[in-house]
Amino acid sequence: MKLPNSLKTDRVTRYKWIAIIIVLIALIVLPLCIESNYIKHLLIMACIGAILGMTFSLLFSSGLITLGAAAFYAVGAYSSTVLVMNAGLSFWAALPLTLVFTAILALGFGAVFVRNAGVAFVIITLIFAQVVVLAAAQADFLGGWGGIMGIPRPNPVGTVNFAAKTDYYYLILAMLLLVVLIYNALYSSRIGRAWRAIKLSPKLAGTLGINEYRYRLLAFVIGSTTAALAGCFYAHYSQNITPGAFGGWLSIYVQLYAVLGGLEFYILGPAIGAVVMTFVPEYLRIVKEWEPIITGVILLVVILFFPGGILGTLKNPPALSLNKFHSLYNRLVTGKKRDSNS
Amino acid sequence: MLLKINNLTVQYGKAEVIKGLSLEVGETEIITIIGANGAGKTTVLRAISGLKPPASGDIWFRGSKISGLRAHEIVRLGISHVPEGRRILAPLSVAENLEIGAYLIKTKRERGTAFQNIFDHFPVLKERMKQLAGSLSGGEQQMLAIARALLNQPRLLMMDEPSMGLSPLVVEQVGRIITDINNRGISIILVEQNARMALSLAGRAYVLEAGKCVLEGEAGALANDERVKHAYLGG
Repeated sequence: MKLPNSLKTDRVTRYKWIAIIIVLIALIVLPLCIESNYIKHLLIMACIGAILGMTFSLLFSSGLITLGAAAFYAVGAYSSTVLVMNAGLSFWAALPLTLVFTAILALGFGAVFVRNAGVAFVIITLIFAQVVVLAAAQADFLGGWGGIMGIPRPNPVGTVNFAAKTDYYYLILAMLLLVVLIYNALYSSRIGRAWRAIKLSPKLAGTLGINEYRYRLLAFVIGSTTAALAGCFYAHYSQNITPGAFGGWLSIYVQLYAVLGGLEFYILGPAIGAVVMTFVPEYLRIVKEWEPIITGVILLVVILFFPGGILGTLKNPPALSLNKFHSLYNRLVTGKKRDSNS
Repeated sequence: MLLKINNLTVQYGKAEVIKGLSLEVGETEIITIIGANGAGKTTVLRAISGLKPPASGDIWFRGSKISGLRAHEIVRLGISHVPEGRRILAPLSVAENLEIGAYLIKTKRERGTAFQNIFDHFPVLKERMKQLAGSLSGGEQQMLAIARALLNQPRLLMMDEPSMGLSPLVVEQVGRIITDINNRGISIILVEQNARMALSLAGRAYVLEAGKCVLEGEAGALANDERVKHAYLGG
C-alpha cells in the first residue's frame, strides 16, 4: 500500500485549470481590444490595487490586520525614485535593490511591530503609515509635500519603450501574476499551513511546535516587500509622487479590496475587490469629494450584511430573512441583543 | 524521572492559581491530576507546555530544565498537549488538521510513516479525511485532537479533560485509547473531572484543591480513600 506523503485534498480540478487559462488569455488580450487610454489606466490601477490587497490578505492569513499597507508601498516608490534619479541607476537595477532595501527595513520594523498581535498591531501600522508620509513630506531631498516630478519611465527593453499604456499594463500584469504564483505556493506550503494555524489559534499553534512570532514576522516582511514592488512600479508609471498619494485613505481602500472581494479568498478576493472598487466609482461618475463617503457606506454594508464579501456570498448565499434585519434593528436601535429565534 | 516539577507557583495577575506544587512523572507511567473546577488542573498543564510561564519553581524534563522555554520549543523536546475542549481547527478539514499537526516532521517519508501510523490506530479519521473537522462527532474530534498530538512523537502526552462532553460509551473508548497509547511507551498526564475514569486508568494520582496538592498516592488506594470518595466519586 502506498503511504500518504501528503494529505492534500484540495487538488485543482481540470475545470479550474480551464478557467484559469481562459482568464489568463483574456487578461493578455484585453488591452488589444481597448483603445481608451483612460480604461487602460484604470486597469493598471486595478492591478496595483489587487497586489496591495493581496498583501493585506497575506498578513490576514496569519491573523494580522494591517492598516499600514500604504507605508511600504510609499517606501518602494520613494526608494526606487531616489535610486534612479539621484544614484543614476536604471529602473531594472533599482527594482531589485528597492525590494532588498524594503525587506531589510520591514524586518527591522516588523521585529518590533509583530510582537503585538491584535488591536495593538492595527494601531501601530496605522500610525507607522502616517509617520512614513510625514517623514517623506519633511525630507527636502524627497521634495517635501510637493513630491518628486519627472520620474523617468522604465528603461526600454528591446522594442518595448513604455511610451504606451499597454506596455505598462503588461509589466504590472507580469508583476501581479508573479505575486499570485508566489503567494499561491506559499499558501499551499508548510508556511501557509502554519499561518492558518496561528490565525485560528496562536496558542494551539505553539503547542504544535509553530513559532508564532517568526511566522508572523515572515508574513510581514513578504507582504511589505510585495507592496514595495507595486510602489516601485507606481512611481515610474505616474512619473510623479507626492506624500499625499500614500495617505491614510489608501490603506483603508486596500483593506476594502480584500473585505469586499471576500476575506477568506486570499488571492481572488483582493483581485475582484480591486477591480470593482476601481471601475464602479468611475462609472458612477462620482464626484471625488463624495468618494470616501460612498466607500465608507460600502464597507459598512458589506461588513453588516455580506461578511463573506462578493466571493463568500456567491459561495454560500445567505438566506435572506427579515429576522436578520430585525435583529440588526434591535441591536442598533434598542441596543438589545436579541436572538432571532426568540 | 521523565518529568519533575519543583515547588511550582503560577499567577494570573496577583492571584496565585498554583501554590507550590511538586509533581513527578516516571517513564511509561500514567498519572492523573483530579480536582474540582478551578482547582488549577488546567493551569498545571499550561505551565508544563509553556503556554503560561510559571512565577517561580522549575520544571525538568528528561534531565533538562524546560520552565522558561516557549511552547513551540517545548513540544520539540517531546511533550504534546491535547488542550481542553478538543481545540481542533474546526473550519479546516481533518486532513489539514493532521498536516498542521505534522508540522515538526520535515521529511516526506517520515510524514508518510507518521500518517500511516495514525490511520492504523484511528481508522475513522481516514474515512473522514475530507470532512471539516467541525462537522465530526465529539468522540471523533477528541480522536483527531489526540492523533494530532501523537504526530509529534511525544514521550509525554498531556490530556486535559478528554472525557468532557462525551457519552459514557465514547468515554470508555477514549479510556481504551489512553491505555493503548501508554502501552506504546508514552507517559501520560491525565487531567480529569471524571475522577472515576481517571483513577481507573492511572497508576498514581494527585488531588488538587485551590492550587495545592492535598493528597497523592497510588490511584487504587486513593479511589478507596474516604475523603476522595466523598468529594470526587459522589459517595
